[in-house]
Amino acid sequence: MRRAALLPLAWLALAATARADGWELDLDGRLVSSDANPSYTQGGVSGVRYDQDQSGLRLGRVRLALSEPLGELWSVHLDASAWGDHDRIPAGLTEAYLQFRPYPFAGYRLRVKAGAFYPPVSLENRAAGWESPYSLSYSAIDSWLAIEVRTIGVEASLDWLGRRQGHDFDLGATGGVFGWNEGAGTFIAGDGFTLTDRQTPYGGRVGLPGDPVLKNLEPFREFDGRAGVYGGLELRWLDRVVVRALRYDNRADPTAMDHATDSIAWETSFNSVGLRAESANGWTAIAQGLQGNTAIEPGGFYLTWPFKAEYALVAKQLGRHMLSLRYDRFEVDSNIPAGDGTETGHAWTAAWVYTPNEHWRLTLEWLRVTSSSYYRNDVFGLAVLASETQLQLAVRYAFGSAVR
Amino acid sequence: MRPSARARNHRTAFRALGGLAALLCALAAPGNARAATLVITVQASDGRPLQGALVTAHALDGPARKPQPIKAVMDQVNRAFAPDLLVIPVGSTVTFPNSDSVSHQIYSFSPAKRFQLPLYRGNPNPPVHFDQAGVVTLGCNIHDEMVGYLVVTDAPYYGRTDTRGAWSNEVVRGRYRITIWHPRMRDEPGDLERELTVGESDHAELTLRLAKPLTPAPLADRPHSWDY
Repeated sequence: MRRAALLPLAWLALAATARADGWELDLDGRLVSSDANPSYTQGGVSGVRYDQDQSGLRLGRVRLALSEPLGELWSVHLDASAWGDHDRIPAGLTEAYLQFRPYPFAGYRLRVKAGAFYPPVSLENRAAGWESPYSLSYSAIDSWLAIEVRTIGVEASLDWLGRRQGHDFDLGATGGVFGWNEGAGTFIAGDGFTLTDRQTPYGGRVGLPGDPVLKNLEPFREFDGRAGVYGGLELRWLDRVVVRALRYDNRADPTAMDHATDSIAWETSFNSVGLRAESANGWTAIAQGLQGNTAIEPGGFYLTWPFKAEYALVAKQLGRHMLSLRYDRFEVDSNIPAGDGTETGHAWTAAWVYTPNEHWRLTLEWLRVTSSSYYRNDVFGLAVLASETQLQLAVRYAFGSAVR
Repeated sequence: MRPSARARNHRTAFRALGGLAALLCALAAPGNARAATLVITVQASDGRPLQGALVTAHALDGPARKPQPIKAVMDQVNRAFAPDLLVIPVGSTVTFPNSDSVSHQIYSFSPAKRFQLPLYRGNPNPPVHFDQAGVVTLGCNIHDEMVGYLVVTDAPYYGRTDTRGAWSNEVVRGRYRITIWHPRMRDEPGDLERELTVGESDHAELTLRLAKPLTPAPLADRPHSWDY
């Protein structure tokens, strides 16, 4: 019955796609070899997306994206994905927003977004679908955003376009107000940092139902009646260097409870700063750091998990080939004397990305995460320290009017 | 060795032709306003020839000669302005077609001409009139990486330097103000302004060297789908 109801919806989506100004369908298949402990998507705690039992052929991502202008200054953007695992919904939207884009005036440019989208933190996930052109797995910082951080609200940014007025740089300021992010922090305090490329869709769940650590993590819920805010600055030097800083605070009430999912609101704030530099001969370097805190207050006990993560990435473009190497390190601390939820670790990611044309992309990625996690032993009875290696070969085919 | 009688005869004939040509020039351009060749060479700060620099020569003597307005075209091809730099006389018009399958929204907030124009495929726009001299920097409101330049000039002589960094033109003799401009130039155009007299000689040359290094060229080969 529910499937029958979905059919007209699917038909509508296809009809809208055919008419849309820009649309894209991506099919991403993987051949995976992993020795990791049970994955966070399978009810475990792992540093990577695929565990030992998921070695073999996997569906990396199926993505359908639409962009449609609404008159001259407005446009709508929808990005839907399926990840081929056991989410409570088979496919969902990872981003969906309206954008207001007036013409620049007197050297300034305003942009307003309303809906659901990523806050401006990532410097590596710059390709369509919030993917990284440098590797399959995102850095620990961006993986965390993919799992449980999203803006559901309004963001405005004002840029001073110096480069169009004879200067070498542009300056930008961004501010956002959002709700529906009381779950952000659950994953950090539970599983810690993970390197993944799975983006939790709206209405989606992280992990299996009744996950021993995450319980039922549906990160995009609103139940404390408080709006979160963020503010950021960006400096761009020519088209070579971008420096970005952001202060984010979901201003959640750490005592508020959601009875539908039996979860508590996580009060999460962080500061992020990053730099990306590119050279004319194909080199890219990215360095980013994020430091924050998440807290809950069940029954008058204030429990807090300070966290931080950093990474450095170097990539070299050689014609249609890209080689990249990234080093991540991360740490979650806790004020609970036993150390519940604490984790320290680091990771190396090496990738080769071959893009023969705009439709095909072939990626080979080797990822090793070494981490020491409290829950790995406390909940799963495994050794606290684990070194997990995941090797992936991905073939992606993209088609549609937005592919170029 | 003495030249042969035949060679002497040739030389005399050439001399006579040269004299006739000089006479015709003098008749065509009265007074001392005979044509001479003006050669401007532009070097980057490291001394290498600078290709693509715009040279303008304003006459400082006599009645100001204005260039004739033209009808120019600046297309949008593969998410770029084509050409990316267009020099037009004051009073010219430019049409902006769109050969891409995607829409563009071009704009300028430069003081010489402020305008905005949505370019949808198969929807031609009327030409835009440029009636004030200056540099008009063009952008696209949808594709931030797009940048183009329209230089509106009231100079009677103008052009861009070749691979040797040189631009030359036949000009009427007199005093000229020479200015240089390049999209990636960091020098103030006023600092590179020179006065030059094209006098009795058939030839006047000037070499200008930028004081500051050029801005690096925009990065190439980045997929359009990045920074969406």
